[in-house]
Amino acid sequence: MAEAETDARRLATEARDRVRFEEEVLELADQVYRVARRLVSSREEAEDLVQETYARAFRSWRSYTPGTNLRAWLMRILTNLNIDRGRREQRAPDMQPMVEGDYFLYNRLEETSGPADEERIVERLSQDSIVDALASVPHDFRDVIVLVDIGDFSYQEAAQILDVPIGTVMSRLHRGRRILKGELAGTAAAEEES
Amino acid sequence: MTHFDSICEKCEELIQPYLDRELSESERLEAEAHLEGCGYCSKRYRFEVSLRRYVRHACCSEEMSPELKAKLASLRTPLD
Repeated sequence: MAEAETDARRLATEARDRVRFEEEVLELADQVYRVARRLVSSREEAEDLVQETYARAFRSWRSYTPGTNLRAWLMRILTNLNIDRGRREQRAPDMQPMVEGDYFLYNRLEETSGPADEERIVERLSQDSIVDALASVPHDFRDVIVLVDIGDFSYQEAAQILDVPIGTVMSRLHRGRRILKGELAGTAAAEEES
Repeated sequence: MTHFDSICEKCEELIQPYLDRELSESERLEAEAHLEGCGYCSKRYRFEVSLRRYVRHACCSEEMSPELKAKLASLRTPLD
């Protein structure tokens, strides 16, 4: 009798923990979607990826340790699934000669459309061109940019999510942002020509 | 003319982690002191901040559909 009662109590506690876990996970859905949307190239792919992530998260809720970073735990599932989906390996483009350092993009914008305040000059780029430029950054670099700049993860969290050393996160971020700026500079020049 | 054609090494080293709030307290103070005194870096800092804000804005404008949200909720384990 006492044993049955203990069992019942254990089950009730477990059900309560699970419900709480599921609610917390669902509250993060918008953030998860925003990251997913920029990791893949279409809305449909992003929706599939988020669904798979949630299906797996709900199934494996016991492997989450309460009190640890749930957002990072979810994102790890998502990035692993994304890699498992067999995304194409992309070779990183050769580094642009950066004699102008990271000011390359600023200079290009200024050259193509005249001087402007450094806080407003980016508004010359269309939102679509930004989205396209990010999509053209090779996966390894884009993953890090998306996690840090869109997902608001720290270097340490991004390192854990992607299972790479923190130094790799930093170098990919640095290089990825340069590639992104190079793409945007190309767009700025192309828009000027057309 | 605001064209930049030189590279400030200090800036290369500090500005990215500074923007990402990844510097220790002492490094952060060092970066801020440098930003105050270096016209090149402070301009670049303002540019980088606005670029990141703009990228974020452009890339987060698409919200998830209510249908997907409902689908995710339906994946929950049914209570028995």
